[in-house]
Amino acid sequence: MASERKTSAGLVAAAWIVVFLPLTWGIYNTALSAAKLFTHLPTKPPAQVHTP
Amino acid sequence: MTTKTVRLWFLPAAFLAVPSSNEWIQGVRMSALSFLDRSRSVAHPGFSRWLVPPAALAVHLSIGQVYAFSVFKNPLLATHGADGSQWNLKEIGYIFSIAIAVLGLSAALFGKWLETAGPRKAMFVAACCFGLGFEVAAAGASTHQLWLIYLGYGVIGGIGLGLGYISPVSTLIKWFPDRPGLATGLAIMGFGGGAMIGSPLGTKLMAFSKAGGHAAIPSAWVTMGILYFLFMLLGAFMVRVPADGWKPAGWTPPAQHSAMISSHNVEVNTAMRTPQFYFLWLVLALNVTAGIGILEQASPMIQDLFHGQVTAVAAAGFVGVLSIFNMGGRFVWAACSDFIGRKPTYMIFFALGTVLYFLLPYTGTLHMDSVVLFVLIAGVLISMYGGGFATIPAYLRDMYGPYNVSAIHGRLLTAWSAAGIIGPLIVNGILDHYNAMHMPREQAYPLILHIMAGLLVIGFVANLLVRPVAERFWMKERPTAAIPLAAGQAPLKRRA
Repeated sequence: MASERKTSAGLVAAAWIVVFLPLTWGIYNTALSAAKLFTHLPTKPPAQVHTP
Repeated sequence: MTTKTVRLWFLPAAFLAVPSSNEWIQGVRMSALSFLDRSRSVAHPGFSRWLVPPAALAVHLSIGQVYAFSVFKNPLLATHGADGSQWNLKEIGYIFSIAIAVLGLSAALFGKWLETAGPRKAMFVAACCFGLGFEVAAAGASTHQLWLIYLGYGVIGGIGLGLGYISPVSTLIKWFPDRPGLATGLAIMGFGGGAMIGSPLGTKLMAFSKAGGHAAIPSAWVTMGILYFLFMLLGAFMVRVPADGWKPAGWTPPAQHSAMISSHNVEVNTAMRTPQFYFLWLVLALNVTAGIGILEQASPMIQDLFHGQVTAVAAAGFVGVLSIFNMGGRFVWAACSDFIGRKPTYMIFFALGTVLYFLLPYTGTLHMDSVVLFVLIAGVLISMYGGGFATIPAYLRDMYGPYNVSAIHGRLLTAWSAAGIIGPLIVNGILDHYNAMHMPREQAYPLILHIMAGLLVIGFVANLLVRPVAERFWMKERPTAAIPLAAGQAPLKRRA
């Protein structure tokens, strides 16, 4: 019967870091691009208030 | 020459050329490649299943690059052949189309092989194809031969895409019988995230090559081919299949289970004979077609509907917002489906989607004039587009059991290829018609989006018709390991 060798938590963490590092870089770049949607919208002039 | 020198000279020759040594070389090669066999990738007791999603992500984050192919369009347009010839947009557009078409075909063709070869071998072949595809395409870009780019990025890379896309699915489902939606959602989220990495990576590598005095595209593609190959290889080395009879510690299969979750496996060829396969094919195809209705025209659509309000730069930002919703939706909706069920999840996609597609054109300048509302609605719609991709493997597992789920998933992905043709045909056909009639483009969007709403109604009906698979299709000798019937419990009566 094969002996039980527990996978170390460090190895699991390292594996997740390896894949999440490039993903985070990609999300950061996309977020920078997405921010342009909100920074490049012209502000609408305030509605005129008609006083009697 | 001394006897010793002669003997030393003879050794490599014997190794390479003498027929009797061929068996030895073959033996070495076989034992090296046997590392890729399914039997060699069975997890040892105590192996953490949480190493498998990063392995799947490594593959999906790489192949997701295909969605960022557009960053190469303008640089490709600008290249010249030795005779001064240039490619047009249509010719360049075929590169992406071929890649996606081959993705669907290879997923359908090699799905069954993958089930026997195991995920490690499939991921390894996918890594080789995807990496090699970039190298062949780089040679094509360098020599200005478009057919080489079609062959490299489109065909060879496309095979890598198809194999890579389906390779971790059944493995993840077997490792996470308690949360199949979450597990496959994580992997397929990677495909959405891959575009976010591929786009800046491609842009930066081209700029770097240009600054170094090299041709931008060939150098960038050579580097990307190597990087993606190594990253996918990492996934192939990390992946493990669970030992027979393995189940998560502390988890007991539910004694009472939904009639919509099969207690038996169905073989891939048999699954093709069930009506459920075709209803689910329609479900995926219509969900994807509707999503493409927005994705295909995201940038021009927001500029047309908010004429003068949204600049081209802001529209590019809108595309970025949609990418985030696309990726997030893949994980969130697939994970939610573990709690609310697959069929209700698609019911939400189709019912909510119909309403939102109907409302979307009315957020424009001519009606509500709300960019924020437009972005929010489009974001939710695209999250459901991504969610549709990510939830379908778990839906298939519920219907057909985990045994052949990758192969069945592979064949169902032909729906994606079909939607990739139908969606743009509808959108571009209507826009071309409005252009030809000299009518304003913003008037075309209500028609386009309402057609998409109509397609979702058909999808709703198709999903409604999905019933448990009839008993006659079950593999009698293979009840699902994950969800056995409780002692003394009679199998549920099922009808097709």
